[in-house]
Amino acid sequence: MTRTTSLIALMALAFPLAAPAAAEVTVLGWPGGPEEAALRAAAEAYNARPETAEEDRVELLFTSRDGFFDKLAADLAAGSTAFDANLIATYSIGRYAPFMRPVDLGPQAAATFGDAVLSTMQFEGEQFGVPTDLSLHFLYVRRDLMDALLADPEAQATYTRIAQERLGEALAPKPPEDWTWRDWAAASLYFSQSVNPDSPTRYGTVLQMKNLLFNMMVFQSLPRAYGADWMDAEGNVTVDSEAYRTGLELYKLLYDAGATPPDSTSYEYAEANAAYASGQVASMVQWNAAAGELTSEETAPAVAAVTDTLPPPAGPEGRFTHVHSLGLGINAAAENPEGAERFLQWLATPEAMAVYARAGGAPGLAGDALAAVAADRPDLAQLGDYAVNYGYVMRGATGANALAVYERQAADFTGYWAGTSTLDEALASATEGMTELLAPPAQ
Amino acid sequence: MTPRARENRWLVAPAVAFLLLMLGFPTVLNVIYSLSDVSFETLRSPRLDGLGNYGEVLSDGAFWASLSFSLRFGALTAVAEVLLGLFLAVFLAPLLRRHPWLLAVLTLPMMIAPAMMGLMYRLMLHEFVGPLPHYLFLWFGSSPAFLSPAWAFWTIAAIEVLQWTPFTLLLFHLAYASIPGEVREAARMDGARAFRLFRRIELPMLLPTVLVALLIRLIDGIRVFDNIWVLVGAGAGGSTTSLPIYIYTAFFRGGPLGPALAASVLFALAAFATLALALRLAGRRAP
Amino acid sequence: MTALRWIVLGLAALLMNLPVIATLATSLKPPAEIMGNPGLWVESPTLANYATVVTVSDRLDVWAYLGNSAAAATLGAALPLLLCLPLAFVAARRGYGRRLLLPLVVNLRALPLIIFAIPIYLMYQSAGLLDTRVGLGLVLAVVNLPLTALILLNAIADIPRELDEAAAMDGARTGRMIWRILVPALRPALATSFVFGFITAWNEFLFGLMLTTREAVPMTVGASFFFAGAGGGVQWGVAAAVIVVAMLPPVLLGLLMYRQIGQAMVAGAVKG
Repeated sequence: MTRTTSLIALMALAFPLAAPAAAEVTVLGWPGGPEEAALRAAAEAYNARPETAEEDRVELLFTSRDGFFDKLAADLAAGSTAFDANLIATYSIGRYAPFMRPVDLGPQAAATFGDAVLSTMQFEGEQFGVPTDLSLHFLYVRRDLMDALLADPEAQATYTRIAQERLGEALAPKPPEDWTWRDWAAASLYFSQSVNPDSPTRYGTVLQMKNLLFNMMVFQSLPRAYGADWMDAEGNVTVDSEAYRTGLELYKLLYDAGATPPDSTSYEYAEANAAYASGQVASMVQWNAAAGELTSEETAPAVAAVTDTLPPPAGPEGRFTHVHSLGLGINAAAENPEGAERFLQWLATPEAMAVYARAGGAPGLAGDALAAVAADRPDLAQLGDYAVNYGYVMRGATGANALAVYERQAADFTGYWAGTSTLDEALASATEGMTELLAPPAQ
Repeated sequence: MTPRARENRWLVAPAVAFLLLMLGFPTVLNVIYSLSDVSFETLRSPRLDGLGNYGEVLSDGAFWASLSFSLRFGALTAVAEVLLGLFLAVFLAPLLRRHPWLLAVLTLPMMIAPAMMGLMYRLMLHEFVGPLPHYLFLWFGSSPAFLSPAWAFWTIAAIEVLQWTPFTLLLFHLAYASIPGEVREAARMDGARAFRLFRRIELPMLLPTVLVALLIRLIDGIRVFDNIWVLVGAGAGGSTTSLPIYIYTAFFRGGPLGPALAASVLFALAAFATLALALRLAGRRAP
Repeated sequence: MTALRWIVLGLAALLMNLPVIATLATSLKPPAEIMGNPGLWVESPTLANYATVVTVSDRLDVWAYLGNSAAAATLGAALPLLLCLPLAFVAARRGYGRRLLLPLVVNLRALPLIIFAIPIYLMYQSAGLLDTRVGLGLVLAVVNLPLTALILLNAIADIPRELDEAAAMDGARTGRMIWRILVPALRPALATSFVFGFITAWNEFLFGLMLTTREAVPMTVGASFFFAGAGGGVQWGVAAAVIVVAMLPPVLLGLLMYRQIGQAMVAGAVKG
């Protein structure tokens, strides 16, 4: 009897009750990677300020990156009070807005970020968060391979022949800065051993074709450069267009020709980077976040020294890159919303962003704020420049159902690429799904 | 009520109370949700809507596709696991009897969380950084595209079989080892050679175990989520969407929750009917 | 013939454990080598990945996750024993509950339990059980009920009735009879159910993700904290190391108990 009682007592010790929350500001951030390091640095700096009141001290909370947004949806929907401020992204503001409250970022915000970047955190005209990290796409390209090609007339002849055969146009090699999407396709074909047995790399490019909504963001800069949009001004879904067809067919052409690894239909960010870092891929359209990893001798010794980061290739309608931001907004069920707002207002100042940027964050800064960190983070100038000059947002992509639209597109488009449906079937399905999802709410 | 009947009720009371406490409210809520128009925003105030969600699910091609996927997957992996487990248990019996610690090595794969297994396979099967393609290229000059649309189903099935054959192996090892020695001796004295011994005497004695193993692994195969999700997600064009993945994606898509729950209720009813039937059949077989 | 058996054994063990071997190898490689050397032979082995895993930082505390998992999995494996023992007893000895209750409990195994995630979340929110080890443990107990019930049912059916009858004739009441007579005889089955339950509970991810945030994060969820690298990538070396660390407790437990597992599994399986 005594043994059982002590056993039970022992078990009871293993389950202490959770301590009551202290009066402070809890911020749920994006776990892992530079965003977390930067947020920590910012929170530390904020807490160290003499102006910061005791009850406004910021405490950080990080959960799992896997399933982060699903868990966030559940927590917000249930009115969780575990955090006062939480991460949001441009493409999910619409989904989480019903559970968040708009925030006033103060007078310095517009000067710190510029209007274009600030608008990535707006929904239906209201500001829902402070944009802390900008995400867009680079064209990662092997400078050494391109230089060698441009210096070798025989290789150029082969290149032109391949372009004529596969793309129907006798293209000549160009420096990557001047590429159109057709040039990119021609180069990808040239640098693939299945098309050109003498190619120095196994694959010309690596496409991320996993059925994943983020891969749609990577893909759609291509059709955008041909004039694509989700909807026209009247609200009709325009995914079944020449622009989208061109883009989808180009990807399929490359996949079928073997210009991208055959497993590409299960590739996303990590796999694509691994492929490129192995040195067997000539170019890749990929998120800017990969730049650190792919240009570091420690993590990518095979390609670090010879990789250039450029904006994506251009099309007839111009040069475009999808852009969105990650940021922090206020939970509608927050216990300390005023304190949270004060923290976000401080974040929207040049001093705060300088701390954030130096610690590894990637904000889109403007004017003086940018100048302050230009020496430590020259890449931020590139980031801001691309965002302002090439950034675009599809009409409807900040709506409440934006994520669902990406998911629908992912299912339909990857089906076409994998050969389980025809182009017409895929576009018809996408149009049907998007019309339903993008329909204005019933009055 | 007799004292015995009253006692019976008291004895099952803890289990029943626990289940009611934990799953009573959730079940009721899920049934209500499946009959309502409800989304994440209206979690606390669903609007009853009738059988519309059920109709939507039953007429959704993706639902039937995922059901077909799960049934094919479950059946294939269950049969493969049972055949392999049976073969290994019988063939390796002498070794295992002499060195029982070998079982520990053979059952290691079962101990790893499926989600983590999926993550490691992502690395292992990667054309450039994975050991499997590396060695295949080295020895054979080429390696299949494991996760391409043509191969994905087979790759995932192989992964599942490799991880869970130890389960059936263990099951059969002990069923086999518990066949009384006298039975074997008697058959051998009648002149039976090894294979005939197996087919005529041992296999019939193992048959109940075979059926139970098939049933358990079929259920588990239908239920697979982590392995597939981590490795290929829903698959290009939804090609690797199992029923649980269908329900998961429907649930978190950010729109109405009703259809996802209607699908789970349908699945639960089907599973219950099947299992009740199977238990009744097994009950009839037992002495 | 014996040589052939050994070869088959070796192949089977190698094939089935390939991911384990690959994970081990990866965990010992530095980042550059992971990208550069896909082979299983580690060129420049390093313990840096393990050092990263076991270092307690502001953000990552592997010991806390292991502790949380141990506590929740213990509750999740032990509670079903208490609940299913009387249930299995009346079902095996008196046929009570065989038609409805038992199939219902066993059928839980077939359900995709994620459908209960949101309602349980709401329940726990009102009860203050969110982000607690007790809360997680209770859900894990539900997950383990079906197999525990099945194993105990068949183990009891294996014990000759004469044993209970003898005890009853000596005047023992049912409760005492179960405790004094059956439980000792059921020790292998109880141990087995506990081990299976512990392993299953230990490897659960979804409920761990949904129901915990900070205080009660289990190892499966905590492990995923280590996976993330910059911008959404995976730091494979550290990920491999944390997977090895995460799988040690159930592996050790399983290794200690494999004999018992086998014995009770047979009894459970054959009687159906």
